[in-house]
Amino acid sequence: MGIVTILWEKWREFIRDFSRITLAAMVAPLMYLIVFGWGIRNTMNGQPYLYFLIPGVVSLTTMNGSFNAIAQNLNVQRLYEKAFDQVIISPTPLWQFVAGQILAGALRGLYAGGIILFLILPVGTGLKFNAVSILILFLNGAVFSSVGIVVSFLAKNHADVPRFSNYIIMPMAYLCNTFFSTEQIPHGARELIAILPLSQTSRMVRSISVGEPARLYGILVLLAYLTVFTAIGLYFVYKKKNL
Amino acid sequence: MIELRNLTKTFENFTAVDSLNLKIETGEFFGLLGPNGAGKTTTISMLSTLLLPTSGEIFIDGELLSRNRQDIKRKVSVITQEYSMRQDMDMEEIMEYQGRLYFMPLREIRSRTKELLAFAGLTEHRRKTIRKLSGGMKRKLMVCRALLTSPEILLLDEPTAGMDPISRRQMWNLLRQLNEQGLTILLTTHYIEEAQSLCGRVALMSGGKLNETDTPARLIEKLGAYAVDELRPDGLHSRFFSQREEAISYLSGLPGSCTLRDTTLEDVFVEHVGKRLS
Repeated sequence: MGIVTILWEKWREFIRDFSRITLAAMVAPLMYLIVFGWGIRNTMNGQPYLYFLIPGVVSLTTMNGSFNAIAQNLNVQRLYEKAFDQVIISPTPLWQFVAGQILAGALRGLYAGGIILFLILPVGTGLKFNAVSILILFLNGAVFSSVGIVVSFLAKNHADVPRFSNYIIMPMAYLCNTFFSTEQIPHGARELIAILPLSQTSRMVRSISVGEPARLYGILVLLAYLTVFTAIGLYFVYKKKNL
Repeated sequence: MIELRNLTKTFENFTAVDSLNLKIETGEFFGLLGPNGAGKTTTISMLSTLLLPTSGEIFIDGELLSRNRQDIKRKVSVITQEYSMRQDMDMEEIMEYQGRLYFMPLREIRSRTKELLAFAGLTEHRRKTIRKLSGGMKRKLMVCRALLTSPEILLLDEPTAGMDPISRRQMWNLLRQLNEQGLTILLTTHYIEEAQSLCGRVALMSGGKLNETDTPARLIEKLGAYAVDELRPDGLHSRFFSQREEAISYLSGLPGSCTLRDTTLEDVFVEHVGKRLS
């Protein structure tokens, strides 16, 4: 099965770059938690701000972990190493390649989020993270892996992926219900931001963390994004004239 | 059998391949010759589905080729002009990745890898990452990778580019052996000598079009088997004759420095393609 081949390839990459991947996944989220959650020592709705912040930071970490694992790597393989050529030439069905990338990216995101959860364990926040949270974080990672595939196919050079990351991923990381509630954003922009996948993920993971159920609506939104971006990715690998 | 029917590829306003019609029989060693920009790599890229044709079709053993025809793609291996490999993998990983992409059993991948790397003299480098290999080693590894899957058709885009003369000769011997074993080979090359030595038939290509297709011997015969080179103030001029006596008679009437020699495929190439380009 081609999906296993792609997972194997990504596993080899993970083993090879284990320390780099792990450190890269830790640094920014830890800084957010230390600076905003611990250093500034604010409260939100009578609770330490850190409790609000943790689900948001874990969500954005899965987003970054997944997007970076796929977009940058695939872009290099396609435009510079030309290693992607061998996949196209091979009899591995291209949908399996896409599915493998999404799955591997989601797992990488989950790993990055898992590191943060592990590191905050000693803080003893009492926040709950259960199987549904993990499923939501996995879905979030899958969405951003599929976005990563699309971006890497749209990229015309090495700088295009970081550019997309600066203009789209980074603003999302700050605005999408991660550091503050989208309720504080003016109408119009609020609704637009609330519908973004990271907003939905943060909201659901935060709800679960305080013992409330996650809304099915949020999962449906993530599935809708995943479907759309996967379909675009598949269109590119099967129909793009010049890969 | 490979069949190209009216194969055309355009990039915005530029036509890289223009209505190509070509048949390559099973077991044939076929060479595609042309200068830079002739459309050779674009043709190979379409055959390997990296590029999709603007119009026209490609048939492999009578079946229409497309990106989702796994059954056809299984028969074909490609050695691209560029080193199309992950730079962070080592040789064994490159081979295993290829084998897995072609759904080979792991045991077979490992035994074939051992065999092929030994054959190419790469065994002691098998744990080196690709970025640490020389150009020649990478090229050899690409050949090993292409052969790992026991293809029926091998597409080679400038396979000996960057190789030293000894490695190049080794590669020629290997390709000859593979062809003798029944492998269909399509080769693009700048080295005319390579095509003359290896190919049963060649096609001369320029400006995206095929100019002439035949065996090297017949192409030479058509031009004239004997060449007289005459050094004039404005450069070297060659004239071709089908009979040796004619060439000698012409030569004896020339005043300056001149030589008589056998016509080569390079002469055919220069006559057909060079004149078209100039």
